[in-house]
Amino acid sequence: MSPVESLLSRRHHYLLLAFAGLSVFAGMASISMARPSGFSHWAGLAIWAACAFVGTALLNRCLPACDPVLFPLAIFLSGWGLVAIQRLAPSFADRQALWLVISVGAMLFAALFPHLLRWLRVYRYVVLAGALLLLLATIVFGSNPSGFEFAPRLWLKIGAVYFQPSEFMKLVLVAFMASYLGEQSAAIRAERGDAGMRLPFSPRLAGPMLSMWLLSLVILVWQRDLGTAMLFFVVFLLLLYTTSGDWRILIGGLLLVIIAAAAAYHLFDVVKLRVDIWLNPWPESDGRAYQIVQSLMAFGAGGILGTGVGLGSPGYIPVVHSDFIFAALAEEWGLLGVIGVLSCFAVLTLRGLSIGLTHAGRDFHKLLAVGLTMMLVVQALMIMAGVLKLLPLTGVTLPFISYGGSSLLVCFVMIGLLLRLSAEAISTGHRGAL
Amino acid sequence: MSVEAAVFILRLLAGLSLLGFLAVLFVIVWRSMRQVDRQLATTRMAYGYLTSLPSNAAQPNQVEKRFPLHAITTLGRSASNTIVVDNDFASAQHARIVLEGGQWWLEDRGSRNGTRLNDVAIDQPTILADSDVVGIGNLRYRFTLTSNMG
Repeated sequence: MSPVESLLSRRHHYLLLAFAGLSVFAGMASISMARPSGFSHWAGLAIWAACAFVGTALLNRCLPACDPVLFPLAIFLSGWGLVAIQRLAPSFADRQALWLVISVGAMLFAALFPHLLRWLRVYRYVVLAGALLLLLATIVFGSNPSGFEFAPRLWLKIGAVYFQPSEFMKLVLVAFMASYLGEQSAAIRAERGDAGMRLPFSPRLAGPMLSMWLLSLVILVWQRDLGTAMLFFVVFLLLLYTTSGDWRILIGGLLLVIIAAAAAYHLFDVVKLRVDIWLNPWPESDGRAYQIVQSLMAFGAGGILGTGVGLGSPGYIPVVHSDFIFAALAEEWGLLGVIGVLSCFAVLTLRGLSIGLTHAGRDFHKLLAVGLTMMLVVQALMIMAGVLKLLPLTGVTLPFISYGGSSLLVCFVMIGLLLRLSAEAISTGHRGAL
Repeated sequence: MSVEAAVFILRLLAGLSLLGFLAVLFVIVWRSMRQVDRQLATTRMAYGYLTSLPSNAAQPNQVEKRFPLHAITTLGRSASNTIVVDNDFASAQHARIVLEGGQWWLEDRGSRNGTRLNDVAIDQPTILADSDVVGIGNLRYRFTLTSNMG
């Protein structure tokens, strides 16, 4: 990149942040106009702006080679989420702003701390064991902040803070799989090169695939957490496919998903309910399908340009500030907002995968970049499609936007690792490329 | 100014700044794509090969042999080299040709009898141009740059 071009891209970078700030400011201002409610949301805006400023300044100074788009993208989405939470559930907004500070701090740590990538690779079993212990602890001691008796118990309560180990599991599992598959990848590719392969799947591929499937099933059975189980397995399949380049992985994985889904449909009421109201929500539109039906209504009410921030009535959707925040955006920002969110995630995919491409030959780095990107994007797709009733609803958060401290924290740490990976790309000539 | 008008203006501002954000995002992505395209174009330009030339008219009917160049091509008498130079005056690890920054560089690897470029001994890495002649021992190779080697 010539100096002139690098200056231009730096300028674009600031322009991007300026537009993000303007957009978040306008959103906050409309809320204060539409429903005057003191000054607490301006504090949220100030915290957000400070996070954006400090993050950009530190990244520019300490890691100038990193990807110039990822951080503005993440901070823009989280600002948008802050506006939406302020609008939908003002009592949660302060807490979310606080989590944003912690998350940006953690992201900067992940991006700037030089040994983190190596530690993730070398101590993978320690990290994995820790995460599994946490998960086990959730199964035994888990609770739910909403306090309903039958709600999934996915949270651990420490003092006054609830946090969700399955969110951390996302990060740990991607790192573990990247490390394991990175070590095995040479052997896997060599086996693929053998023309006369005797088994349809080599044990090197089938072993991890089956154990991952079992882990997902355990999460599903003990925690009733359909979304996380599905997410883990899909991301893992994509990673396995990235390693081996063998399309039969995808077919085999799909078969396993179908088997598990069919069994779960008959065994678990949660899954049966989700699938039933996905196929036809209307008979129960006042009952168990109320949430999804109201979400569809919100999409319809939004139209092309939306009702305007603070002017819609997304409050009809129960617990709208977490899983269903996308429906609220669709109502108040319309098709424009929906396309905006989709574009942001599309660009995130593009940048993340191209970071993976720049690490050709370094399998751990490549797989980690692909895995982190897929974790974020598959999760976003699952919940967006679920809210739109394109897929059965799976209760995962919309990355960066939904209310949820653990989710925000983990998403920002993933961005931090991606930034670190982008700065460590092999050939400096390809920096910022793609 | 009434509240409705203010809210409308803010809505407009929010929508436009969202569009602005997306537009800048697309410009950045577009520019980096184009940059990669240019980079790939120069890399494609940079393929090349060596052709062995008949040595000093001793065997004029010798068949020309063609050696495609790798990103790092080593030359020398030892069998571990990319191009094995079968000549008594060549060293085991004689020279190498490296692709760097879209250019091919010829480098001597401390050989006993030196590496010549167009019959002049080189003492530092030198950029190769099309149809240059690389001399190692008694043998000479013509360097050819190809533009469209798929």
